[in-house]
Amino acid sequence: MEITVKTTVIGTVGDVKKPSRVFREISTIWAIVCREVSVAFKSPGTLIMSLAMPLVMMGMIGGNLTQNMADGLNFDFGMFMLVGMMINMLFMATSQGVATLVDDHEDNFSEEMLIAPVSRYAIVIGKICGSAFSAVVTMLGTLIVGAVMGITLSFGQFLSILALSPLICLAAGSLAMLFIGLIKNRKAANLAVMLIIMPQMFLSGAIIPIGNSSGLLWVISRMLPMTYCLDLTRAVVYAGTPEYGAVTLFNPLVSITGTICITVVCLTVGTFFYARSEKDR
Amino acid sequence: MKVIEVNNLVKQYNGAKSPSVDGVSFSVDNGEFFAFLGPNGAGKTTTISILTTTLSTTSGEARIAGFDVDKDARRVRERIGIISQKPSLDKSLTAEENIRFHAALYGLYGYRPSFKLMPKAYKEQVTQLAEIVGIQDALFRPVKKLSGGMQRKLEIIRSLVHTPDVLFLDEPTQGLDAVSRRMLWDYINDVRNRYGTTIFLTTHYIDEAENVDKVCIINHGKIAFCATPDAMKRQIAYDPAPRVCLPSLEDAYVEFLNRDKGAA
Repeated sequence: MEITVKTTVIGTVGDVKKPSRVFREISTIWAIVCREVSVAFKSPGTLIMSLAMPLVMMGMIGGNLTQNMADGLNFDFGMFMLVGMMINMLFMATSQGVATLVDDHEDNFSEEMLIAPVSRYAIVIGKICGSAFSAVVTMLGTLIVGAVMGITLSFGQFLSILALSPLICLAAGSLAMLFIGLIKNRKAANLAVMLIIMPQMFLSGAIIPIGNSSGLLWVISRMLPMTYCLDLTRAVVYAGTPEYGAVTLFNPLVSITGTICITVVCLTVGTFFYARSEKDR
Repeated sequence: MKVIEVNNLVKQYNGAKSPSVDGVSFSVDNGEFFAFLGPNGAGKTTTISILTTTLSTTSGEARIAGFDVDKDARRVRERIGIISQKPSLDKSLTAEENIRFHAALYGLYGYRPSFKLMPKAYKEQVTQLAEIVGIQDALFRPVKKLSGGMQRKLEIIRSLVHTPDVLFLDEPTQGLDAVSRRMLWDYINDVRNRYGTTIFLTTHYIDEAENVDKVCIINHGKIAFCATPDAMKRQIAYDPAPRVCLPSLEDAYVEFLNRDKGAA
């Protein structure tokens, strides 16, 4: 059998200038983001679920809470819950997206990324930012369900939340990495996502005000990144309104500092676990 | 010049009672075609995983192009490519998207959302590589719809896109038909001759290692023999008829494993 090999083929690559480290890291993050978005579009089921989830979370849980808890509060509970649920959905969808690192490990695709000369941070940040795409779709679904229920945001308020969403997704994904980094099978990863999301939904003030929490619940709420993300978002959404004091816990500077600090710690520790668990077997 | 140096390498997996790789030492010269042979579970893939920086060592030292695989992992990764036993492709992406992703990871080209938007040089390079290994018609099909052989060929293209100094081939022809195997070896030999790429091969098809420069046999995590194929053949007490030729490398390989078993 005769094989013709074109002499220029590999030579073309050899002539390519060696890329800088910074370019490679950015290129990696961007490539992983594009891959996640591409995969999301190729599995319409996932996108449909991203839109269907708000029906359950906002429509059913939120609707029930609005009907039974709104009385006696000195602010509009529907609006309070809509903002909380939007942030909760960002956390949930981002965590689920980060959990697909376990799928990559099981399918051996993680080897492709781990053998490449890029930092583990680039891989993890790319994964989180890529997961943010599905998360924003889910958040939009929540907004639509809220509108159907008669709870709306102004365009400016919506844009403010959208502008904060990258930071919120980064915080959510970093927290997820703390758990996912150590997990190597899908079942455990799915359980971990529930473990991350459920306590935060109730203890961070997403759907239930936590202004009067005390004792252990108070301590836990201050350790959860969603508490700070929610408070920051509400501070922006409610800025200049009479309800501001009733729906926020901290000064926005405290919220943003809390969010950044917890994100940095979780991202550093989670990525370390991830890199170590892949290598130290 | 030694491009791979392994000194007294030990790897014991967490919870394992004994090491999978137990004091292995060998070296590979720059541009050499090196075969690392051994039965299932001998420690071949473990050694490759360490050399490709995806597995930590328990003790000992391994260097690629002078860089320690533990301490200088990034520099090692810049110089290596691998076709592993289990395909590491994203099956939901197309063949070309997998290559594009790889090129972006190595910083060769920035990732753009479609093939049409990629630079001309990339498009030409990928098209030509696909023609060489015969997957040009499958380039834009999802990987999950490609046969095992096609996926292997895709991995080959992908591993060579960044022109590694050392290419690790961990049972690269497993599941390939005879024509594809021949095509693959012709291509790899051409790459090697043209660019001096060092090839580190593990295979169970011993005939594939007949023309290598050096063979090491690993058994039960230890090196049983390391020499040229001819030297290895001369070592055994095999007496073929007619007497004018040496035994095959496979005969020598089996004989060495039997001896090793006897010694154990």
